[in-house]
Amino acid sequence: MQIFMAFIIVYLLATAIVLGFSVSTIINKAFPNQDPEKVFCGFILYYFLFDMLFRFLWQELPTLSIQPYLAQNIQRKQLTRFLNIRSLFTFLNLLPILLFIPFAVSSIFQTDGSAAAIAFIICIISLTCFNHFTILFIKRKTIINGWWLVAFFVTIALCMAGDYFNVFSVSAISSTVFLHILKTPLLCIIPIALAFFSVVNNTRFLKQNLYLEELSSASAKKESANYTWLNRFGIYGELIGLDLKLILRNKRPRSAALMSVALLFYGFLFYKPETIEQGQYGVLLLGATFVTGIFIITYGQFLFAWHGNFFDGLMAGNFTLQQYIKSRFLLFAGVGTITFMLVSFYGFMSWKILIIQLAAYLYNTGFNTVLSIYFATRSYKGLDLSKSASFNYQGTGAAQWIYGLVFMLFGAIVYLPFALLFNAWAGVIAIGLFGLVNILLQDWWVQILANQLMQRKHKILEGFREK
Amino acid sequence: MITLNNIGKAYNGKIVVDIAACNIAEGELVGLVGNNGAGKTTLFRLLLDLVRADRGEVLSKGVNVAGNENWKQFTAAYLDEGFLITYLTPEEYFYFIGKLHNRTKADVDETLKSLETFFDGAILQNGKYIRDLSKGNQFKVGIASCLIQNPQLLILDEPFANLDPSSQMRLIKMLRELNEQKRITILISSHDLNHITDICKRILLMEKGKIINDLPVSADTLTELENYFKV
Repeated sequence: MQIFMAFIIVYLLATAIVLGFSVSTIINKAFPNQDPEKVFCGFILYYFLFDMLFRFLWQELPTLSIQPYLAQNIQRKQLTRFLNIRSLFTFLNLLPILLFIPFAVSSIFQTDGSAAAIAFIICIISLTCFNHFTILFIKRKTIINGWWLVAFFVTIALCMAGDYFNVFSVSAISSTVFLHILKTPLLCIIPIALAFFSVVNNTRFLKQNLYLEELSSASAKKESANYTWLNRFGIYGELIGLDLKLILRNKRPRSAALMSVALLFYGFLFYKPETIEQGQYGVLLLGATFVTGIFIITYGQFLFAWHGNFFDGLMAGNFTLQQYIKSRFLLFAGVGTITFMLVSFYGFMSWKILIIQLAAYLYNTGFNTVLSIYFATRSYKGLDLSKSASFNYQGTGAAQWIYGLVFMLFGAIVYLPFALLFNAWAGVIAIGLFGLVNILLQDWWVQILANQLMQRKHKILEGFREK
Repeated sequence: MITLNNIGKAYNGKIVVDIAACNIAEGELVGLVGNNGAGKTTLFRLLLDLVRADRGEVLSKGVNVAGNENWKQFTAAYLDEGFLITYLTPEEYFYFIGKLHNRTKADVDETLKSLETFFDGAILQNGKYIRDLSKGNQFKVGIASCLIQNPQLLILDEPFANLDPSSQMRLIKMLRELNEQKRITILISSHDLNHITDICKRILLMEKGKIINDLPVSADTLTELENYFKV
């Protein structure tokens, strides 16, 4: 897994360098009548906009369990500085430098002189720095208050929508700004100021919140909740109720759930008008699987681990492992159905999407659930819910994407033979039917997965106890 | 009730439980004593199939607990916080446990009412999740959840350790009543030799995973144990 990640990163970095050096030739070919500098400058702000989005999903918060150090003879200033500096070592910071600096050296230096090139490089580094610390700040804010997450995605979405519907043009703004900077290199003070502001802001926030763990715990009176509508499902309802409360009352699962909601909008990335017109059903199906299965991916990757704190109690509790497994299936089915209904608004783009999402929904409910539970019986690392999430953002990093990729891969195995032999719709139908068959086979799967859990439950318990 | 047959468990080559044979009859009130690392908790986990035995078997009512789940219906246990769902309020947790044992809300309420003095006003209607309770109060929640289950076999790991003196006395009284009136088989471990010789009728002394002494409790038992533990 780690090796795999390293490969991806090295590949991306190598591509970036090659791209960086060849960019002016590429632009010359693609836009023969335009000034390559102008085209390239128009692209920069786009890059940093997407960079924001990527960072939000990939960049991990630097973690440090701060408590042991607070009592030691270390100044708070040093602690925050350590957190800030350590966070800088991520490939996301290397990428823009490798992508843009070759261009500065190979192109700007020749046409506009060394001062412009240096100003350009300073701009890129400052903007990277700005993005880096702003995202750290926003991510930390989202942990405390989920609305920040919503606000962040809405802002990004508005920027993209504004550009898409020609309200304003990101590329025009970008090229104006950067061409100005190239003309008057001193203007690079502005991005420097921005970067400086983001660092100061982030540091201030960190300093204020070093006590956060204590502040958050005692507060409002807690009420008991009783989900009577779950009663009719008997023991399954009880177990599902546990998960609902788990999500509502613990920061980490709550941010995972909020993340799922935010990721529902990923549909817009996959379902583009061109994609629908050109009939790229593979892409649409991929998007549909992701969007309808988002809860299985985000919540399911820690399926048993969420229960890690009380897995001893659960395994000694008065229900069978079959019942426990079945409750997982029902939880997925319930949330999956709600997700499916929510995302049918994409149907306004085209009725085809509705059908593809139906197939994906069946596939997720029938088969991805099986995969998810199977993986759960093979993961022995528990999560500590009691640890506040404020210095902890595990679970929303790259691992999630790998996990999602495995899911997609199985889908491709079902889809591709039919799509290639017959046509795309045959593939879509195959996916849907495959899911449906697995839904019908669910009791059989329950039996198999319960046996798997029975075989490995001691190992899981041991792992969860360690933490 | 419980039969241990040649049961053994080792972690990284270190033996934690190694018992050739042991029988606990129905209605017994048995105490487990021994220093840390003697294997008490691991033995309890073996009884609940939370740890896989390297060899041998644990029979609960004549049936091997590994690979069988019937024992869950009549066994209640509280070993540590790993049994509590700490983001629930105590009430929610009690009703959840009650539901698992097909007990109605009224049944649960009745049991809780009988525990009023034991709770000492610190558990119910307090507007706190279990995770916000003190360790002693969490233990009370755990013990109460066991009683809600109406078990035939009750297993408690060091129940006195975190309780205040009054609660310890109340617990002793409760356990004695459960054992005498409802004929519940009870297994407890403790480092408190006074308490354990006070309520138990039989004491198993463990050392390095082995039961080195199986004593019926008499007037001399306390002195005997004190001599063993003397440094």
